[in-house]
Amino acid sequence: MTSILNLLRLSWLQLSRHRVRSLLTLLGVASGMFLFTSVETLQRSLAVATEATAADTTLVVFRENRFCPSTSRLPEHFADEIRRIDGVREVIPVQVVVNNCGTSLDVVAFRGVPTGLLTRYAPEIEIVAGSEAEWAKRDDGALLGEVFAQRRGLSPGDRFDAAGVTVTVSGVLRSPNPQDNNVAYVKLPFLQQASRTGLGVVTQFNVRVENSDDLTAVAAAIDERFESSQAPTDTKPEKAFFAESAAELVELIGFTRWLGVGAVVAVGALVANALLLVVRGRVKENAVLRTLGYPGRAIATLVVSEGGMLGVAGGVAGVALAAGFLHWQSFTMGAEGQTLSIQPDAFVVLSGIAMGLLLGVFASLWPAYQAMRQPIVHSLRN
Amino acid sequence: MNDLMIQCRGVSKSYFKGKTEVTPLEALDLDVPRGEFLALMGPSGSGKTTLLNLLSGIDSPTAGSLVIAGEEIAKLSRRQLTAWRAEHVGYIFQLYHLVPVLTAFENVELPLLLSGLSKKERHERVRTALDLVGLGDRMNHAPTELSGGQEQRVAIARAIVADPPLLVADEPTGDLDREAATRILDLLRSLTEDHGKTIVMVTHDAKAAAAADRTLHLEKGQLLENA
Repeated sequence: MTSILNLLRLSWLQLSRHRVRSLLTLLGVASGMFLFTSVETLQRSLAVATEATAADTTLVVFRENRFCPSTSRLPEHFADEIRRIDGVREVIPVQVVVNNCGTSLDVVAFRGVPTGLLTRYAPEIEIVAGSEAEWAKRDDGALLGEVFAQRRGLSPGDRFDAAGVTVTVSGVLRSPNPQDNNVAYVKLPFLQQASRTGLGVVTQFNVRVENSDDLTAVAAAIDERFESSQAPTDTKPEKAFFAESAAELVELIGFTRWLGVGAVVAVGALVANALLLVVRGRVKENAVLRTLGYPGRAIATLVVSEGGMLGVAGGVAGVALAAGFLHWQSFTMGAEGQTLSIQPDAFVVLSGIAMGLLLGVFASLWPAYQAMRQPIVHSLRN
Repeated sequence: MNDLMIQCRGVSKSYFKGKTEVTPLEALDLDVPRGEFLALMGPSGSGKTTLLNLLSGIDSPTAGSLVIAGEEIAKLSRRQLTAWRAEHVGYIFQLYHLVPVLTAFENVELPLLLSGLSKKERHERVRTALDLVGLGDRMNHAPTELSGGQEQRVAIARAIVADPPLLVADEPTGDLDREAATRILDLLRSLTEDHGKTIVMVTHDAKAAAAADRTLHLEKGQLLENA
């Protein structure tokens, strides 16, 4: 153990005292890991938004064969009928107004909901600035999701307008549901009038069911109930609804996986190249160490340690830069009224650092093998 | 107890250079008693360095028996030979071969890093070795901050820090001026006289060879005469 620690220390001395070379390599690794982390954040955000889990209990009721929120018009009174269906715990009618129905990186989505129903429907929502009482007082009051507020630099008391709707910020909310953190909740009648949709008409209903096992059955029951009405419905689990509505976005983000693969390959090649140069530059030095009694595996350990350290340091730097950048920018991708917040979580951060270490170690295996195979006498002579 | 540090019997070494077989050493016999300072002289290509490499265990003979410090090293596996080298041999190079990014202290500490000694023990040994070569006050200097003679003394400290019974030196004064060379030779001399080290030194310099107890001449892979 002492020997391993001593070898690690020796590797560290080699890295820290070849500052320019180490910093340039580290910069390259950090750049690659920045890209990798950004792509992983996209993938992870998409996975959280679209992959069903056993804890999912939310259905979205939309107008059949409609995709953009502006074309989905459903009578608000459907809520009472949906509430009576077996297995339904709570229903909230939602009017959705977006500034851009297409795919966008800065989408603003208003959700109009009946006063008092929001926290009953979603008790997990936490008000982190301002208050719900303040929201209740003002007709044009808005509760902003914290990612949205941060992206726009808004706080309670500020006014802003988007999509032809002007509101006053009453508070900022935080929710475990990423969609809630990206939107502005306003009062339903206010949004119906401000968007000229008209009172009594909503875009969708969000339905909470008692048990996640009932999702399919309840969705079928809702659609069956309104099958012959003037406004037939199409009901899906929230994540499936997101995946279908934002199909273009899903496809686009799916493609970015290849950018992540490219970043990983680039980092691996960079570290391998840097270490191959190191090994070639240290032929004599390694031969001297072998003469002093260092076994080949100790020489290999020195090379792999350097690769691992470069990988970890570059990984930490790249992940930290990406996390800081994405947090600061608070990007929200949107399509067809669905929003996707691009925020790295602990999983992405830890997997990015672990990937840096793995890449560093893996990329150094061949240079390490070469270093340990160099014949001593030949290396000393040349 | 056998008082021979080195016992070579019929040692040959040959290798291929392209398609041509080269035999720098052929059926060589050599005995070196413990505590002797032996100089090896001879023209370039006579096999001096090859012999030194065999004695230090960084190369293996093609034929013959090579017993050093009581161990038949020609029969050791590569791994065994590495471990044997760490314990029994200190190698002094003509061009010092210090690691440039490490200080004198760190260079001397290198042979001890895999020894299992505690940090305190290692540091004590390094300080002792550096004091012995007269560089106790330069231990934190990088090789680039030292003169050639000082670098060679650091290299000698590195060779003796693990306390090996055999030191091999490949033209240790070949790159030094006369004054520095004399100091290095005095140091080597004291290592045999005061510390009982056996030293085999390759040199082209007759004045350097004069510091040794005995000088052997090698020519075309054969020991020709004793001087």
